[in-house]
Amino acid sequence: MNEKTIKGYKRETLGTGESRRIRREGKIPAVIYGKNAPEHISLDVKEFAAAIGSVNEASIITIKVGRKSHSVLIKDYQTALISGDVTHMDFFEVSKGETLHTHIPVTLHGSAKGVKEGGLLEHVLHDLEIECLPKDIPESIVVEIAELGLNESLHVSSIVVPEGVKILTNPERTIVTVVSKKAEVTEESEELEGEEEGE
Amino acid sequence: MLSPKRVKYRKRMRGKVDGVAHRGNTLAFGDFGLMALDPKWITNRQIEAARVAMTRHIKRGGKVWIRIFPDMPYTKKPAETRQGKGKGNPEGWVAVVKKGAIMFEMGGVSQELAQEAMALAASKLPIKTKFVVRRDLEKM
Repeated sequence: MNEKTIKGYKRETLGTGESRRIRREGKIPAVIYGKNAPEHISLDVKEFAAAIGSVNEASIITIKVGRKSHSVLIKDYQTALISGDVTHMDFFEVSKGETLHTHIPVTLHGSAKGVKEGGLLEHVLHDLEIECLPKDIPESIVVEIAELGLNESLHVSSIVVPEGVKILTNPERTIVTVVSKKAEVTEESEELEGEEEGE
Repeated sequence: MLSPKRVKYRKRMRGKVDGVAHRGNTLAFGDFGLMALDPKWITNRQIEAARVAMTRHIKRGGKVWIRIFPDMPYTKKPAETRQGKGKGNPEGWVAVVKKGAIMFEMGGVSQELAQEAMALAASKLPIKTKFVVRRDLEKM
């Protein structure tokens, strides 16, 4: 997997007011923690968006703060409720040779047989919790759904993962299912139904 | 139309709709959603109108989830009645929707179709709304 590099700026003063000031300057306050003492940094929003794209816990990112560089994973992030802007980020510093827990996205490949028969594809589980070494983290788990028929489901237990990766999510959980659509109700009958209710 | 099957008390105090939604503010089922940008009571008729507009537009292709439920009764005094003589009669049901609440979700359709359907649904509601997309489908 390809590593992404971004630049971080050390934060000397902390707190709510300082964080707000940083956000007004177009930066995101962040913290790096792990085995060493936590380090408080800020990131440039534009630089971060260009380098990372969408927020994803599966990629190892290198953050350069001054002369030091940290290999980190996105552990958590907070967003503003209405605008959806990222307001704070938590990074977890990974140590080479030590297993870690993270979440990776599940992507679907192909078009399900059941959908062609008139079913509806429901993607229930969007990410999986895994345990592996930092070097083994897959970018995503691709699930082949071409053979999925009507009223059939794929569960976590049926996923084949790369070597060195262990899935921690409950194997009985459903990832994707093809459900049959409800019997089509004509518009006339729906309107009649509405009139009856109104009376 | 949506309404509770039975309630403990027929009439309820009106309360406030201040603040933002601390629950029900994220997409939980579908890939697309309609977020409330204003606080307001949404009646069961408005919810139903929005649902019908959405499902007709997607021609029952995808799936629609309604994340709000009108569990609060509202009362009204009859016309030309003097003040006093107690609280009015229950007239209907409303959902108390706070700013930031995801009211509807949709899945199994393309983003363009979902956006069109949500726009039709939004026109049936008395508040400003925002179309939201699951974070792993959009760029920051």
